[in-house]
Amino acid sequence: MAKITVRNLTKRYGSATALNNVSLEIESGEFLVLLGPSGCGKTTLLRCLAGLETPDEGEIIIGDHVVFSSKNNTMVPPGKRNLGMVFQSYALWPHMSVRDNVKFGLDVLKTPKGVADERLDQVLDDVGLAHLDGRYPSELSGGQQQRVALARLLATQPPVFLMDEPLSNLDARLRMDMRVELKRFQSDTGATTVYVTHDQTEAMTMSTRVVVMKDGEIQQISPPDQLYRQPENTFVADFIGMPRINLVELNAEDGRATSFSNGDIRVETGWAPGVQKVIIGARPEDITLSTDSGAPGEDYQISAVLPNGPETIIQLTKGQTVMIARVGHDTEFATGQTVKLSFKRQSLNIYNAKTGALVTPPDMGVAKAG
Amino acid sequence: MSDISVPAHGLRSRLHRSATDPVNILMLLLLAVLAYLVLWPFIQLTIETLTWSQGDRRLSRDAVPGEFTWFHWLQATTGPLSTKVLYGPLINTMITGIVSTILALLAGGVLAWCVVRSDMPGKRWLQPILTLPYILPSFAIALAWETVFRSPKVGGQPGLFEALLGTAPPEWLSYGAVPISITLAIHYFPFAYLLVAGALATIDSQMEEGALISGAGRLMILRRITFPVVAPAFAAAFILTFGKTIGQFALPFLLGAPTQYHTVATMVYANLALGLDSMAFVLAIVLIAMSLVAIWFSNRFVGKKSRRFETISGKGFRSRTIALGAWRWPVFTAVAMFSFTVGILPLILLGVQSVMLIDGFYGLENLTSHFWFGTSNPEIAFGEPGVLHNDIILGATWNTLKLAFISAVIASVVGLVIAYISVRRADNPLARALDQISFIPFLFPTIAFGAMYLTLFAEPVGPIPALYGTFTLLVLISVVSRLPYSVKTGVTAVTQIGKELEEAAELAGAGWGMRFRRIIMPLASSGVLSGMMVSFVGVMRELSLIILLITPSTRVLMTVGFGYAEEGLSQLSNALVLIVAVLTIIGELILMWIGKGKMARLRDKQS
Repeated sequence: MAKITVRNLTKRYGSATALNNVSLEIESGEFLVLLGPSGCGKTTLLRCLAGLETPDEGEIIIGDHVVFSSKNNTMVPPGKRNLGMVFQSYALWPHMSVRDNVKFGLDVLKTPKGVADERLDQVLDDVGLAHLDGRYPSELSGGQQQRVALARLLATQPPVFLMDEPLSNLDARLRMDMRVELKRFQSDTGATTVYVTHDQTEAMTMSTRVVVMKDGEIQQISPPDQLYRQPENTFVADFIGMPRINLVELNAEDGRATSFSNGDIRVETGWAPGVQKVIIGARPEDITLSTDSGAPGEDYQISAVLPNGPETIIQLTKGQTVMIARVGHDTEFATGQTVKLSFKRQSLNIYNAKTGALVTPPDMGVAKAG
Repeated sequence: MSDISVPAHGLRSRLHRSATDPVNILMLLLLAVLAYLVLWPFIQLTIETLTWSQGDRRLSRDAVPGEFTWFHWLQATTGPLSTKVLYGPLINTMITGIVSTILALLAGGVLAWCVVRSDMPGKRWLQPILTLPYILPSFAIALAWETVFRSPKVGGQPGLFEALLGTAPPEWLSYGAVPISITLAIHYFPFAYLLVAGALATIDSQMEEGALISGAGRLMILRRITFPVVAPAFAAAFILTFGKTIGQFALPFLLGAPTQYHTVATMVYANLALGLDSMAFVLAIVLIAMSLVAIWFSNRFVGKKSRRFETISGKGFRSRTIALGAWRWPVFTAVAMFSFTVGILPLILLGVQSVMLIDGFYGLENLTSHFWFGTSNPEIAFGEPGVLHNDIILGATWNTLKLAFISAVIASVVGLVIAYISVRRADNPLARALDQISFIPFLFPTIAFGAMYLTLFAEPVGPIPALYGTFTLLVLISVVSRLPYSVKTGVTAVTQIGKELEEAAELAGAGWGMRFRRIIMPLASSGVLSGMMVSFVGVMRELSLIILLITPSTRVLMTVGFGYAEEGLSQLSNALVLIVAVLTIIGELILMWIGKGKMARLRDKQS
């Protein structure tokens, strides 16, 4: 199939840099998600892969072909890159029927009529639109339009799928169903897939690896679980996860390398990060609350209780420090209550406050929170 | 741009790519062609006024053909004839232009308010009648005026006025500033009406309701809220209408020339008829200058003010009609009578007169179908056969339809291509230049534009043959003069086509030609088709643009009709103008049927 290599890609618009020296390897058959806030360059990167944008510098290799290289003056036009794309708006041609929309790519390839018809029937059947093939896009629901876009992608059987926020125009329920289906088509075809989204649930549930981007630069490339458990910097830590991770800046206590505080709270890391100022990152579910005054931890006051279906979000304060904890739905915590708060030490991430980068411990020892 | 920081090889590769991009090739080609068809004629015309020509030998002994001279400009501005040739016509142009524009704006503004904002009954069928005078060829109204107010003092038969009242109308009512201003106003008020109605339709009633709640009365709301909000549109309408009136040629010519009342536009024609080409060109440049100043003012005014008054916010927009109460039916009667008088009566007058054997005698025994169906009879109209038996007219009809059709199709397709380039390559300065250059013909008063092409294509230049007297030249000038409109239509159409629709096709491997044919063209087709129809009708009723370029073999209905009117064969000219009127009305009806006509769009806005 097709492996994709991106080397030192840079793309500027006037004085703004959309992609800054981006390098990336995408394995054949991988489902790679580009994730980031709007304006981070993820869509630009996808469009560069597609050939819809011309980068200023760098190199893109798809399969065995160099499709872009600023050194060799190579710029293979989009139609010759052998890839398919689903647009955010679906980009269905409103003056063509469902069947003609799907057929267009086969027409361009001059596929013989018999073969093309067979392929069309099969693709339309696969996406469950066989009975609607004479309709026009405006006569279809959002979900059906999405399927047409998908069928159009599948028709020419490209080894690479590019998807630009394909599910963002669907309602929440439909989005869930389509995630499953997209995943199925991807694994059935084995196509290398690059998928752009700003929805982290989508990224987490569908990808084999996630690329988090910010300001035209790659922040982290990891499988989804590692992205969640071990964000490599404070930006990623803060961006991933809902409710957001607790990030608290602390200073090393005099003469001690493993104990940090900010006046309100103290945290024992149990190992020496080797910097004066740290930011600790604790996911809301990595916080343990207890009404038992003998429990380990520090006293916090509950300032808000926000039930949210299967879970309850609890906001706690100690002095100026605010923490968010996630507990089960059957909690009996109430606003105003004072509780003991402790961290699950092994889940705590420590960042260098100056650089924002993750500081990894020499070993994963378990110790009591301070 | 970032190009500075791009290494040299990257730049070269980009140059290579852009040189092979079909859109870029097309863009450069169109730029070159339009520069030659729009900019160069103007330069050529200017050079012509600054050079001695062969014919100037009879004007001055100093004339050295081909040499530079200020002679023509000095003659026009300080010569003994300057009052008659330049200053008099200039003043006449200003007077008729300003008076007719004020009248047109008053009528158009009041009517627009009645139709858009009041609950006047019968709007649906009054609207099309109100636009009729603008749809008709402008000199149809001049002919109808003549039919009524013709004065035998100037020669010819008496008009309806004298036949009914027994006494000749005063000359100032027959010819000169008064009739020209009134007929120009009748022809252009629908233009002002459409502009003001468009502005009124965008007013959010909530603004007025806000004032109502604060206790303001109806008149106060009109004065303090409604009028100030549409004021920029009003000002723009004033200047645009004025700019259009000064370029009018046939109408002031018919109602002014008999008493030597000339505007700059008619003076261009008169000078050319006398063989004083260079003087005519000087006047054409004066006319262009006037138009440029007007448009410049309009842009300045509208550009600055209207943005501040941007009223379409999309959300919660409501337009409430205002109840006229007891005035409902009186207002309706007044509007209906007005629209009958200006929209339908002229056509009836022309029709009646075209079946009178001897012009000016109103009686059943004087009726004849000769001017429609008759064959040549030396006793009537110098032996000219009726319009439906006249080879010249049949030929002219064919020429008219052919010219209108070919020009409309070419203008629409070229307009769409230019629109595509200017929308999709908006960041390319050359694309912007192309967009602007295609708008320039809008700035040229049509008769001046005709004068330019007269000089440009009189002799072969390089590979381009002398086109004077050919049908091709008529097509060229018609296409170029329609471009400002067709590009605008095209831009609206292309802007609505999402870029992704094209990218999806590009990813499938479709080249630019295939994308344009299979995606852009079909999706733009409804807008472009209605634009094509507008152009078709526009070219069909065009006279001043081509009057200077017509030769016997390329006659069209309008020029033949004008020729008859000039010779005093009013029945024949009336019959011809009626044919053109019917053809244009059919065209407009088709437009309305397509549902993209001006009226339809207006209705959509209201509902």
